[in-house]
Amino acid sequence: MAIENIIRCYQSKDRAARQPFGGDDYLCREVQLSPTAQLPEIQTKKVSMKPLKIGITGVRGIVGETFTPELAVEFAEAFGTYLDRGRILVCRDTRPSGQMIRSAVLAGLLAAGCEVVDLGVCPTPSMQLAVKWLKADGGIAITAGHNPWQWNALKFVRSDGLYLNSTQGEELLDIFHQGEYAKAGWDTIKQVVQTADAIEEHIKVLHENFATEAIRSKKLTVAVDCCNGACSFLSPKWLTKLGCEVLAVNDNPTAPFPHAPEPKPETMAQLRAIVKAGRAAIGFAHDADGERLGIVSDLGEPLSEEMTLAIAAEIRLRKKAGVVVTNVSTSSAVDVIAARHGGSVVRTPVGQAYISEGLIEHNGVLGGEGSGGITVPEVHLTHDSAAAIGLILEHLAQTGERISDLVAGLPQLAILKHNVTVEPHRLYSVLQEFRASMEEEGLEIDAMDGIKVTLADGWVHVRGSNTESMIRIIVEAQTEAAARELLDWARDRIKR
Amino acid sequence: MRAIPTLKISISGVRGVVGQSLTPKLLTRFAEAFGTHTGSGTIVIGRDPRTSGEMVKHAVVAGLLSTGSRVIDIGVCPVPTVQLQVRNRRAQGGIAITASHNPPEWNALKFIGSSGLFLDAGQARELLDIYHQGEYTKAGGAELRTVEVVEGATDLHIQSILDVLGPLPKTEKKLRVVLDSCNGAGSLVGPKLIEALGAEVIRLNTTPDGSFPRPAEPLPENLGDLCRTVKEHQADIGFAQDMDADRLAIVSEQGEAIGEDYTLVLATLFVLGREKGAVVANLSTTSAVADVAKKFDCPVFLTKIGEVNVTDAMQQQRAVIGGEGNGGVIYPRINFARDSLVGIALVLHLLAESGKSVTELLADIPRYTVVKEKIACASDRIAGVLRTVRQEFAEFQMDTRDGVKVIMPDGWLLVRGSNTEPIIRVVAEAKSEERARSLVDDVIGRISR
Repeated sequence: MAIENIIRCYQSKDRAARQPFGGDDYLCREVQLSPTAQLPEIQTKKVSMKPLKIGITGVRGIVGETFTPELAVEFAEAFGTYLDRGRILVCRDTRPSGQMIRSAVLAGLLAAGCEVVDLGVCPTPSMQLAVKWLKADGGIAITAGHNPWQWNALKFVRSDGLYLNSTQGEELLDIFHQGEYAKAGWDTIKQVVQTADAIEEHIKVLHENFATEAIRSKKLTVAVDCCNGACSFLSPKWLTKLGCEVLAVNDNPTAPFPHAPEPKPETMAQLRAIVKAGRAAIGFAHDADGERLGIVSDLGEPLSEEMTLAIAAEIRLRKKAGVVVTNVSTSSAVDVIAARHGGSVVRTPVGQAYISEGLIEHNGVLGGEGSGGITVPEVHLTHDSAAAIGLILEHLAQTGERISDLVAGLPQLAILKHNVTVEPHRLYSVLQEFRASMEEEGLEIDAMDGIKVTLADGWVHVRGSNTESMIRIIVEAQTEAAARELLDWARDRIKR
Repeated sequence: MRAIPTLKISISGVRGVVGQSLTPKLLTRFAEAFGTHTGSGTIVIGRDPRTSGEMVKHAVVAGLLSTGSRVIDIGVCPVPTVQLQVRNRRAQGGIAITASHNPPEWNALKFIGSSGLFLDAGQARELLDIYHQGEYTKAGGAELRTVEVVEGATDLHIQSILDVLGPLPKTEKKLRVVLDSCNGAGSLVGPKLIEALGAEVIRLNTTPDGSFPRPAEPLPENLGDLCRTVKEHQADIGFAQDMDADRLAIVSEQGEAIGEDYTLVLATLFVLGREKGAVVANLSTTSAVADVAKKFDCPVFLTKIGEVNVTDAMQQQRAVIGGEGNGGVIYPRINFARDSLVGIALVLHLLAESGKSVTELLADIPRYTVVKEKIACASDRIAGVLRTVRQEFAEFQMDTRDGVKVIMPDGWLLVRGSNTEPIIRVVAEAKSEERARSLVDDVIGRISR
């Protein structure tokens, strides 16, 4: 008897079913069986696309799916082992899973014999500064930065307040994979100390590094969207200290994120409205943990996250020519600005640790990435949105220039970003195939991080994400039309 | 010889040595299994002051939260306080973090059901099955709930004792009490209770810092300091708690440790004097309990060893008082749990209301001497040892519900494997210490042959 057995593959059209990988289509399988037939059991094989990323930048995943408390416990034990016990700071952003992951991290660190200082909900840069003044041996930030609220992650900081670099990250991973951790006995195990001083101390350091008095005298009106994240505790305080009239929105750290914690024009509608209604001199948008900064101009125009670095570079290099360190994926506007002021640009792979190391190596005057992360070296060598606020407000106060005028003078380039979801085991080969097709066309390739190709009218950068199972395509050109053409050209050459 | 394991996963919970077998990952998994078992409800957690307590607590909190449970953390407190809170808050369950009388390097999780009782064997087996299957409820996003740190749980505990028993009746002179809390979970709440009852308290070992000033079990040989202090201050009575404050031992006004068996005897004497009803104890409890019950014409039921067996039988028999020979007193009107605080209150009331001293009270009760020994024995050898005992003492009446209890005309003898450590416990009771000792020596001799 013929068994009716139709297995049909189709492309999912249901957007909701594609979460959390919103970007692209993926294959599903539907099995239809005749109800009368006696059938052998059919094993439906699920496509494995688990949102978990364990790598040299830490561990990141969706809580309730892949990011389990055991995983957090073990990473904390591995980190405690890696640092050979010592004093470790722990901070977290405001995600609902923060308390759970915090407990897991504290348990792991204590079990490894660490002395743990819990800073509670606090921006990552505040913790990174505290590592130094609390003379700690390292820190763990519990935050998935700009990822959606269901995500969480652990980021590891060493004794100088900077993230582990790739070699150190690999050493930590080796310990994690070996699975043998330091274990404190009952007579050596330590307790958790809690302190909320990190934010006050952070503001003190910021205060010392910018012309606070000049800013105070201007009594600027400043709007800020804290995304109900860790900056709710920092930014309004810092702006008040600067004598600003603060129009804060989403500054309730117990409320959920009102929008994606990624400071991009798409998420800045509320901030725009407040800047306009309050006639603010500028509007700032934070991510969940205080690294990235987005800007709304005094005209109420939301600026691309790429503009944050361009603005900071313009301000910095006008005062002091020097080296700006940024990654390969960031807009070439910064090159134009550097050339104007006699400065130069050093490009690194994508990732904060590389920017920090680039700044040390080249004695840079500014670091930053196209994502909106800005490093002001005087404060510390890591992304700090509060420091970026200080830098920008200092300029507005000292020159009286309006932010919209400053932006008008910057090179206007069109940058487009696109993500292609790829199954984790295909990430590398997809990139390799792209590289091969570029080489076939005889193009010159920069392979420092992913593949960057510079063409006559712009550039294309294709790389695997460090944090999610996707390939990011970034293109830049003089006009949006040209950029779109470039993006299509690149997408045609990526075969999943 | 095979190494004696440092991890014990059984129906009485999970128990292990910190820095060796009791890893945070294991603890987190157990908490996840428990959260799954209770259906992601409200869970009360409390701990004793062991140095590893904080680590264990955080591991447990992480596991519970990840299953979508809501956690009420009542901090350092006696185990019976956790049990009382579970009942009063109508929580889905509780976890007590304590290795009770084990040495300081140990810690453990004890699981409490929604009734405030420890999980019974069936429930515990379900929990173990979930743990071993390794698939736990995973809560994400908005399903995640929070941990609430609640203070004052022990004050509520004191209040519920006063609600039932009231303060001590006025006497000419306030009772003077020495309390040795072993720097354990009873260190703060114990003295507070005694003062609230209206007695004077002299504190000994009441710094809950996880140091063990003496072995945690309130056995006579561990109570030298307490006996001395009672005499020195001419106190009316001395109380000794264990680390998690569920067990209680008494020192008389003459500075004599009366044996932890007699805590239940005195408590029974007081409770039956107020109301008649059934008494429940376990197999290894002194016969003096039965003697006291007989005076009041009340029935006595003996159960297998383990708090949960005693509480089960107490519910079935609607007992008015129950407990164990190890100093665990259960008084259902206040708390369905072994509770040293309740024990203190009952015995102080007995002293105040009778106007007699501990020695005078004991003079009216038959005195037995209990001798307890333990011998190291790997778990797999225990069955063989018990068989030997059954063969050797075949001519006597026996109770084999839990280990082997040999009932002789002038006393009894109990041999059983421990649920919590790789050891065999031997207990004998007789009218004289010599006779009890010889029974123990005799059986140990026959086992080791």
